[in-house]
Amino acid sequence: MQSVNGLVGHGALLLALPFIALGIIAVPVAVNRGRRDWLEIGYGAVYANFALMSAAALAMISALVTHDFSVSYVAQVGSRETPLFYTIISLWGALEGSILFWAWVLSFYGMTVVALNKSRAGNLVPYAAMTLLCISLFFSILLVGPANPFHVVSPVPQNGPGPNPLLQNHILMAVHPPLLYLGYVGMSVPFAFAVGAVLSGEAENNDWIKVSRTWTMASWGFLSAAIIAGMWWSYEVLGWGGYWAWDPVENASFLPWLTATAFLHSAMVQERRGMLRVWNLNLVVGTFVLTILGTFLTRSGIISSVHAFTTGTIGYYFLAFITIVLVTGGVIVAGSSDKLRSKGKLDSAASRETVFLLNNLFLTAFMLTVLVGTLFPLVAEAMRGVKVSVGGPFFNRMSLPIIAALLFLMGVGPALPWKVASKAELRSKLIPPTAGALVLAAAALIAGIHDPYGILVFAFVGYAATANFREFSIGAAVRRRAHGESWPTAFLRLVEGNRRRYGGYIAHFGVFFVALGIAMSSTLRTEREATLQRGMTMQIAGRTLRLQDIWGREEPQRQVVGATLEIMNGNRVTGTLEPRMNFYRTQQEPVPTPDVRSGVLGDLYLNLMAFRPDGSNATIRAIYQPLVPWIWFGGGVVVFGAIVAGWPTARRRRVPAVVPVPAPPKPPAREPEYAA
Amino acid sequence: MTTKKGIIIGGIAIIVAAFAYLLYGGLDKNIVYFLTPHELLAKGTKAVDVPVRLGGQVKPGSVKWNDTTLALHFIVTDGTSEIAVDSKGAPPQMFRDGMGVVVEGRYGANGTFNCTSLMVKHSNEYRPPKPGESVQEMQKTLIKGASS
Amino acid sequence: MNWRRAGIAAALVIPVVFVFSRGMKIDPREIPSPLPGNPAPPFALAVFAPGQPPLERPIGDTVRLADLRGRVVVLNFWASWCLACRDEHVGLTDVARGYAGKPVTFVGSLYQDTPGNGTQWIAEMGGQSYPSVNDPKARTAIDYGLYGVPETFFITAEGKIARKITGPAPPQVIRQIIDSLLTTTSSP
Repeated sequence: MQSVNGLVGHGALLLALPFIALGIIAVPVAVNRGRRDWLEIGYGAVYANFALMSAAALAMISALVTHDFSVSYVAQVGSRETPLFYTIISLWGALEGSILFWAWVLSFYGMTVVALNKSRAGNLVPYAAMTLLCISLFFSILLVGPANPFHVVSPVPQNGPGPNPLLQNHILMAVHPPLLYLGYVGMSVPFAFAVGAVLSGEAENNDWIKVSRTWTMASWGFLSAAIIAGMWWSYEVLGWGGYWAWDPVENASFLPWLTATAFLHSAMVQERRGMLRVWNLNLVVGTFVLTILGTFLTRSGIISSVHAFTTGTIGYYFLAFITIVLVTGGVIVAGSSDKLRSKGKLDSAASRETVFLLNNLFLTAFMLTVLVGTLFPLVAEAMRGVKVSVGGPFFNRMSLPIIAALLFLMGVGPALPWKVASKAELRSKLIPPTAGALVLAAAALIAGIHDPYGILVFAFVGYAATANFREFSIGAAVRRRAHGESWPTAFLRLVEGNRRRYGGYIAHFGVFFVALGIAMSSTLRTEREATLQRGMTMQIAGRTLRLQDIWGREEPQRQVVGATLEIMNGNRVTGTLEPRMNFYRTQQEPVPTPDVRSGVLGDLYLNLMAFRPDGSNATIRAIYQPLVPWIWFGGGVVVFGAIVAGWPTARRRRVPAVVPVPAPPKPPAREPEYAA
Repeated sequence: MTTKKGIIIGGIAIIVAAFAYLLYGGLDKNIVYFLTPHELLAKGTKAVDVPVRLGGQVKPGSVKWNDTTLALHFIVTDGTSEIAVDSKGAPPQMFRDGMGVVVEGRYGANGTFNCTSLMVKHSNEYRPPKPGESVQEMQKTLIKGASS
Repeated sequence: MNWRRAGIAAALVIPVVFVFSRGMKIDPREIPSPLPGNPAPPFALAVFAPGQPPLERPIGDTVRLADLRGRVVVLNFWASWCLACRDEHVGLTDVARGYAGKPVTFVGSLYQDTPGNGTQWIAEMGGQSYPSVNDPKARTAIDYGLYGVPETFFITAEGKIARKITGPAPPQVIRQIIDSLLTTTSSP
């Protein structure tokens, strides 16, 4: 017997297929025959896809909430003991559900793209919509085929195992996956516009670059947030005290982030100077390919990872899809490269374009490094049949110089003008930030960093932060003089007047915080492990920890064993921490729950490693890492910068009219948003 | 024009080659081979003091853990060969005889494997706790112990 | 559109796809298991669920691996609390029935479960064509280095472990493996 949830969900998925197929056929008919009505059918299919995917997703949520174990996905991840909140978020906790969620987000984006752009002239938007439908088609086939979450389970089980304990152990699991999907799926839109631009013959216009840039900005913001949330989750849940391990799944989210970052910068060069047009097409296509590749690697079980999903035949579907995407991408990039010769040329080595070029070079090198390191085990096994893994040292060694160079460029780029910088400009812009570099390098030495790269990162952050800050302060000072505004008003107006540029600088500041946090916490980490009886103490980073109690507790879906430790500064107790170990009903291994006390300057991180069953002693691992919270804060700043830069500009046009500023003689054309 | 183009192409080729060389060098030094005890012993001295991941099963009855010194010893076996492993730190909670493990570290000339990280291989399939390792049992004694 | 370049770009995809498709055939999770190629650990376990004719064995009968020399043995570890076992159950039962009369023996081994639960589960699932044995204290499972259930071992006529599948075993894969084992043993 199929339940209502199953019937509605499965029905919606089945119904979506013909609609999507119809839409894919309708667009070329509309364009080639000039039939406006067929275009309406195509767009109608986009809306119908969203409606049907919403119905399927809501049916799944309803099945999860009502513990409808006749639905296979619920039988797989649901349990009556799981709290409601974790029941709902288990929508994306396992493979089938995450594919459903993906398809839902994709259909939403498709609808948004059509709704926002359908009045645009030309064939760019119809072809973009068609491309998005093609991607939707793939996910819909997965959903009615190997990843169908609505299979009927018979006989209906009384209860299920509940979601993967790692995923129900922390609130961040509610945040990280949806952000990641919003970011990942969002990269389909620029790709769709790239394909649309080539198919409609509009690749030479900058139109598609502008739309793609906006969507990349938004997706990039989500992706940044997702990466930081993922690091935070790994830190809070996995219990090893780190936040980044160069795990294939982490790399998979990082790869498209790198190319998207490169695109956000090089798009400016194309808009401003008409250069890098083929390159940008490459980046857009590459970013999309990397999102699909990442999903393939993590969903097909081709690469082992702590985060990977269990596998099935789904890998072969992904393999087929990735082949199609790679061929399509290769064909449109290589096929249209002739048409897209650069219009501009590099005027001088000392210009912002040059810095952007270098930035792209390093970001691409970074991406290739991570890609090679991630895929190498796969290639080695396929070619030579040996099992190898590429250790963290490879990634660290290769990426540190690249990161240092990128940080330095972040200081140079904003300071340089487009086209060519005069000697005087170079001197006045590039020399003062050196003071910032010296200050932070000294700070690093005082803090006790001896690692040369650590010091270099500090110095370059100091340099770049000063340079970026000067962009704000000089700009605001000019406004203050010109309009007699107060400092805060001048700052706000400055940012408001060119949100894209200053939003970018804000994001830079976020990166500086992240860089400092990572440099400090990785070089100055201290770790102790000890077995304690009640009342015994251990020392870590100038603090004393005293084991007060070891206890056990029964909860509906799990049993908890914990240790209570007092943190003492001299004889004064300054706080307590309770690292725990959760035993889930259906999981053979306990899930550790570390406890962390965060301060502005650093984190004290405790993990319960082992305990005697009679409760007489507990083994505690204590880790002190400076500046870890700066990473999370920096991530927030990056996202804030992306919001400032990417928020739709609809209301902006009215602003000048309200502000009582003596209008300068009307400029000949609308001032470019990114004016230097 | 053509010479300029040539210079650009040559420059790019040099950069790419240098980058590829760096990547290759980095990989060469940081590849960690995955070996079974049998494969490791078959490599002889070539396997001594290089980073290796050793995979196999924990030999039943071989686990010794001292919770005060945190020294952990056990033997990894693949059915044909055995290697003694020295580790420091608490074993994963469900570390038990016969379990599949992957230990990362270096094989010493003295014939023991110095483990830097220990991973228990477990499937995503779930199972109820074994009677012997029932958490309820632990719980009861623990709660009793705490209240007394 | 420059089709020549487009074609070159498309051709470059081939090696990438080749590597991926090779990679798909290898299970990265698998520790290079010590077992395949090695003699299968012996077992002697009592039947608790008889199976159906013609594969039936009486309850209480002891299944010994040593007695099964000359036959391909498919040893499937399962449990009533295991959801993935439900997925493979029907396929496995059908495949087993299909090999009736051939030198192939299917044995189900109950893991971390009670025969009572197991019997009830088999009834709920519409029967099992081959017999299942109980593995008290999971001794046999430990000998075979089980990661979890379901897990299926393929043992050759010479008593060596040929292959194993972790997780639900697809029927076509089971057939393929059995057929290859039958041809290698029956040809000489």
